[in-house]
Amino acid sequence: MKRSTKKKVKKTITYSLLVFLSVVIAFPFVWLILTAIKTYPDIYAYPIKYFIFEPTREHFDKIADMNFWAYFKNSVIVGTGTMFFSILIGLFPAYAFARYEFRYKRTLLAGVMVFQMLPLVVFLLPIFKTLNNFGILNTYTGLILSYLPFTTPISIMFMRTFFLSIPKSLEEAARIDGCTFGQAFRKVILPITLPGIAAVGVYAFLFSWSELMYSMSILTSKAKQTIPTFLQLFVGQYQTRWGPLFAGSILATIPPLIIFMILQKFFIAGLVSGSVKE
Amino acid sequence: MSRLVREEKTAFKMILPYFLIIVLLFIFLIGSNIYSSFTTEEGKFTLQNYYRVFTDPVVGRAMANTVVWVVGSVLGQLLLGLLVALLLNESTRGQIIFRSVILILPWATLDIVAGVMWKWMYNDMYGVLNDVLVKLHIINDYIPWLGSENMAMLSVIIANVWKGFCLSGMFFLAGLQTISPDLYEAAEIDGANSFKRFWRITIPQLKPVIMTTLMLTIIWTINYFPLIYIMTGGGPGYGTETVVTYIYKLGFRFLEFNKAAALSNILFVAIFAIAFVFLRNITKEEAR
Repeated sequence: MKRSTKKKVKKTITYSLLVFLSVVIAFPFVWLILTAIKTYPDIYAYPIKYFIFEPTREHFDKIADMNFWAYFKNSVIVGTGTMFFSILIGLFPAYAFARYEFRYKRTLLAGVMVFQMLPLVVFLLPIFKTLNNFGILNTYTGLILSYLPFTTPISIMFMRTFFLSIPKSLEEAARIDGCTFGQAFRKVILPITLPGIAAVGVYAFLFSWSELMYSMSILTSKAKQTIPTFLQLFVGQYQTRWGPLFAGSILATIPPLIIFMILQKFFIAGLVSGSVKE
Repeated sequence: MSRLVREEKTAFKMILPYFLIIVLLFIFLIGSNIYSSFTTEEGKFTLQNYYRVFTDPVVGRAMANTVVWVVGSVLGQLLLGLLVALLLNESTRGQIIFRSVILILPWATLDIVAGVMWKWMYNDMYGVLNDVLVKLHIINDYIPWLGSENMAMLSVIIANVWKGFCLSGMFFLAGLQTISPDLYEAAEIDGANSFKRFWRITIPQLKPVIMTTLMLTIIWTINYFPLIYIMTGGGPGYGTETVVTYIYKLGFRFLEFNKAAALSNILFVAIFAIAFVFLRNITKEEAR
């Protein structure tokens, strides 16, 4: 009896804190939405109008007229490509770092991380020149290629951590049962690490989805540019056009949210804890 | 013995192709950077670029600012991330909504959007933050959030904690879910209270994930610049100028590429040292 009341109190505290945090964290974004559906006189109203105003869709119509959805499509292409190749390229190095004993492990692991050591801005000029030499400037391939040195180290580091959490015995058991390495990897290791791989995939996608400096410089033709470049148009030196800027921001944030909701099931605890128990 | 040799062979096969490509690419790119840091505009050898970096008072200021920016942001992000991960790990209902709002919303917000959104909220006159805080009687007068040097630094750190804590939260949560419940049950039977269970089980079990996250967050925060760039542009004065925003300014505003390259190389050595210490500890830990 005493134990169950204790649990109830704990649960109440947990949920109150979660609700409180959700409200505080969501507030800036809610404010963004409210600003996006206000007319300019309402945006600059004083005292501030919180909920009582006439909503408008003028800012959304404005960005649709400015070809927002073309930029959106370009962002999806680059984001999907970056996500796919970041996982594919990182998978085997990550596995080897987690599983095997070998010489120079520390050195190799440090070496993989080199591109995390410096800000993106440092590499922009040499990458730009290199892409130009290969004739892939102003292509999606060129942009995806220039993102991979920055995303793959992260995918390796984190997938490695997740591989580490799987007991070696699990894989060995599969091998004893007659699985080849490939089968053991596909049927035993991969399903358990899916939450980690999914998290890494979302990371890579969002990296490219959000990145401005490279996409702006490498995709030089207007027809290929991505959402951040589009949004940047509204940020001026002296004046920012909040309405269309925020309308575009809302539409840009929806796809990552949907992807995350689809991937939710991979994060569920049972998947991991069920098969890892020794 | 032969098994170890076989393991090594397999490992090298998996790692070396990637490793060689990435390292050669890096050497090529950083090489061109080192080359320009030691040359004049006319292509002659010089140490002038480094000399000018060390005698530039803004560089010292930017370095001090970077330390404040990193310590504030990283502490905030990791603590908030851990709290959120623990709470989400405890809860069962409404997981999808809580996770989407708390873990993904700020992170899914584009850098540029987060920057302008906070800038709009911090606005002296029409900013919602001042209005709300006054209505809640937390402050009496409007605060010029981005107006003074110290206040601007605090403001960009708050925005950065909001923007960046999700990644720690997400990886901590995934880490928490790999901890076997048996450990907790055993501890509970042994009479350990939840405080003890947290320090004796959760933290040690989570340590590899915490160390990796800490290292990456530190390096990312040093290198992260869109937020500062959009919100303050390094100002007011040099109040929020970090090494990275200054490199950008030197390179793309003042067009002093070679000086920017020199400062980049100094930054590289500093970050390399940080990463070296972390990676040594991380791999040592796992070797046990």
